[in-house]
Amino acid sequence: MLRYTVKRLLQLAVALLGLTLLLFAWFKALPGGPENQLLPENATDQQREALRAALGLDEPLWVQYGDFVGRAVRLDFGSSLSSGRPIATELADRLPATIELSLAAMLIAVGVGIPLGYLAAKRRGSWLDFSAVSGSLLGTCIPIFFLAAMLKVVFAQELGWLPTTFRLSAGSTYTEVTGLRVLDGVITGEFDIAWDAVLHLVLPAIALSSIPLAVIVRITRASVLDVVGEDYVRTADAKGLKPSVVRGRHVMRNAMLPIATIIGLLLGSLFAGAVLTESVFSFGGIGSFVYQATTERDYPALMGFILVIAVFYVVINLLVDLSYGLLDPRVRVRS
Amino acid sequence: MRTSPTTVRRALAAAAGAALAVGLFTACGSDGDTGGDADTAEDFDFSCPERTDGEPQIDEAANESQPFVFGTPGDPTSLDPILASDGETFRVNRQVFDTLLDADCTDTVPGLAESFEQNPEGTEWTFHLREGVTFHDGAPLDGAAVCKNFDRWANFKGGFQSPNFTYYYSAVFGGFAENDPAMGIETESIFKGCTADGLTATISISQYTSSFPGAFTLESLSIISPLSIDAVADVTLPAADSPLPEYTQTVGTLAGTGPYKLQDWNHSEQEVTLVRNDDYFGEPAHVKTLIFKTISDETARRQALEAGDIHGYDLAAPADAQALLDAGYQVPIRGVFNLLYLAYTQGHAPLEDHAVREALSYAVDRQRIVDSVLPAGGMVATQFIPPSLEGYSDDVATYEYDTDKAKELLAEAGAEDLSLTFCYPTDVTRPYMPAPKDIFDIIASDLEAAGVTVEARPITWVEYIPTTRSGECPLYLLGWTGDFADPYNFLGTWFAAPSTEWGFDSPEVFDAIAAANTEPDAAARVDLWKAANEAVMEELPGLPISSSPPSIAFAANVYPPDVSPLTREDFAQVSFTTGS
Repeated sequence: MLRYTVKRLLQLAVALLGLTLLLFAWFKALPGGPENQLLPENATDQQREALRAALGLDEPLWVQYGDFVGRAVRLDFGSSLSSGRPIATELADRLPATIELSLAAMLIAVGVGIPLGYLAAKRRGSWLDFSAVSGSLLGTCIPIFFLAAMLKVVFAQELGWLPTTFRLSAGSTYTEVTGLRVLDGVITGEFDIAWDAVLHLVLPAIALSSIPLAVIVRITRASVLDVVGEDYVRTADAKGLKPSVVRGRHVMRNAMLPIATIIGLLLGSLFAGAVLTESVFSFGGIGSFVYQATTERDYPALMGFILVIAVFYVVINLLVDLSYGLLDPRVRVRS
Repeated sequence: MRTSPTTVRRALAAAAGAALAVGLFTACGSDGDTGGDADTAEDFDFSCPERTDGEPQIDEAANESQPFVFGTPGDPTSLDPILASDGETFRVNRQVFDTLLDADCTDTVPGLAESFEQNPEGTEWTFHLREGVTFHDGAPLDGAAVCKNFDRWANFKGGFQSPNFTYYYSAVFGGFAENDPAMGIETESIFKGCTADGLTATISISQYTSSFPGAFTLESLSIISPLSIDAVADVTLPAADSPLPEYTQTVGTLAGTGPYKLQDWNHSEQEVTLVRNDDYFGEPAHVKTLIFKTISDETARRQALEAGDIHGYDLAAPADAQALLDAGYQVPIRGVFNLLYLAYTQGHAPLEDHAVREALSYAVDRQRIVDSVLPAGGMVATQFIPPSLEGYSDDVATYEYDTDKAKELLAEAGAEDLSLTFCYPTDVTRPYMPAPKDIFDIIASDLEAAGVTVEARPITWVEYIPTTRSGECPLYLLGWTGDFADPYNFLGTWFAAPSTEWGFDSPEVFDAIAAANTEPDAAARVDLWKAANEAVMEELPGLPISSSPPSIAFAANVYPPDVSPLTREDFAQVSFTTGS
């Protein structure tokens, strides 16, 4: 298991280095430069050139790349060209919002998706199965951006049940511990803050959960259908085990392998969806940061962000791979 | 009637005007309303719209208990005003810090200085400061405090000199005491020094430009407490891409004199909280707590207002304005202070031919653009400065929409089969250009109607400025929102010298602008600017299309601030009302 983990970590480092090279080449191939965003329209050519030179953008490409990688290795991504703040600080400020939103969305997706997929499989051909399959198709079809906007119009604007924007009501004072507002509210006993944060989380989390929910329902259904047909499940039934034992120990545990894999992949992709959802709900996470960095050709910010997300993605998948060992004894034995 | 700070300033301006012999506060136009549906330069009253919303029913309880939340399109960048050049930072800092002079509409009026005077050469500017003004940290305002600010800026080193951080200082004063070669500034500073005497500060410059005195209204040149300057004296900024110093990102280090004090800047919530300064030298703010909250998406800002999450927001979409009004929201109209133009880049034949440029100008129905694309308050432009500025001329050559005349001129010039590439930006809206593609479509169809074949060239915004500056685009759309009341801020940056973006070389135009820019006598300068405008429109380097105000919206239960063409709203005027 240790060798396997070390091997995966080495793969991770090589993958990240390759990613920095690709990213750098891509950004440099894009037209325009940050000086055109950072200075007003009527700044003189001399001022623009001065800024390019001062930012090191007239250095040879390999020097710029080497500088970037050198800094990144020291976890120094430089400062955002648009906000002037260290990128690590920007990410540290904004990442908790995205993590909280993604976790809430995944909680909904897993909490609803797995039971629904299981029931759809158990009652194959019933109206429930039909509804679950059709609903999941719909979930993958509707763009997150559109769904988010619709939820906002109906439940926030028209019905007024939930807030339209932000993570907390404007002007709220709270104690920050982890940056996850709900958790912080519970930890510090500021339950009004926790509740306010939950209300602000509901709509964006539902919007963001639509695709993972749909995928989890379908994967769970297919996986359970595979497993319930296995001999060991029939044997377990035949020897009179309680249905709950058959369901938990024999069906779901074996059906969980593909579900765990897909949850890992979905967690990574949730970050991409969060960019759209956050912009609709002004959720203040990395979404608006990335949007701004993209439009302003804020290369250091974008590279820092993508690297961090890539690390998240790879680490999550590493954890998923490692979790196979816990879920499936055969993996433990083999490794 | 409630006496607003603006009213106070107007009275002070009038008093100062009567008392001083030279260098008086200038007025750009008489007060009056906008004329309702007036929408051309000829019939528009250029001063800021007078308020017509009457006496507010102020809700004192709400003002004390409820924060006023204003939705902004972007985050501020720095709590140190000198290190900022963007509107969102100015919006926040303007409530906290004051400048020597202020702007009412586009008039220059007293700020921290009750009055000022200049020598005949325009190289010495003496400011007489208000008595009894204290900074939020208790330090008194005096001439020494003002000079300490100017000396600090002039002696910036390293990255502090980069246009990335101190764009406006170097734009106004040319450079620093010792220019750092790594920051690329090669021009010599015109700042010679500042001397203090009690409540008087005298700023000396080596060469007059028409940026003065307007530049003293720039938010970047806000005066901070001498104690604050001492507190950050050791802070360095090694390079142009160094992170902004920590003191610019957290409250507590810098103190101003404004109607609000900084209370908190919550970066993760994208929220800046200000609290009323009860010791403000002017009329104290009505609302105790003021919050600027970033909502970058235009639609999200409107929805937040409709849901009651915020009480006002800026840069409302022109298309939303009527719907908001119909729903009972307030959308006060700002005066105009920007300009959109269609450039004719000479060097692309046959645009060197004056008759062809005239023909293109006659072909464009600018009124249709104003009526169908721009927000209420927009107007057709006749020259390259907005009408609120001194030096605006009623005698420039004008080009009324006339397709037949355009065809006739093209035929005379032998350009019946004219084909031109027309560039426009794809992924941006600017305050002067809310819908570039729609504006392009109207102009292109007008030009086609006059027999010109138009080849569209959409370009992303980051690529747009360098492309148009390189002279690649025969026709392109661009514009500018003024920083302060100075025609050079418009004309000078475009037409002071030959450039590839315009491609023409006209000594008459360049000389006219230089003459106006270096004339220290205010009355003579106005005439020179008028002559410069007439010379530019005679040359016709492009077609001024429109000036239009960016829209701002407020909830029904709010008494909004006087809206400003420079987007310099003073939120101390805001109040909750009991009216609705």
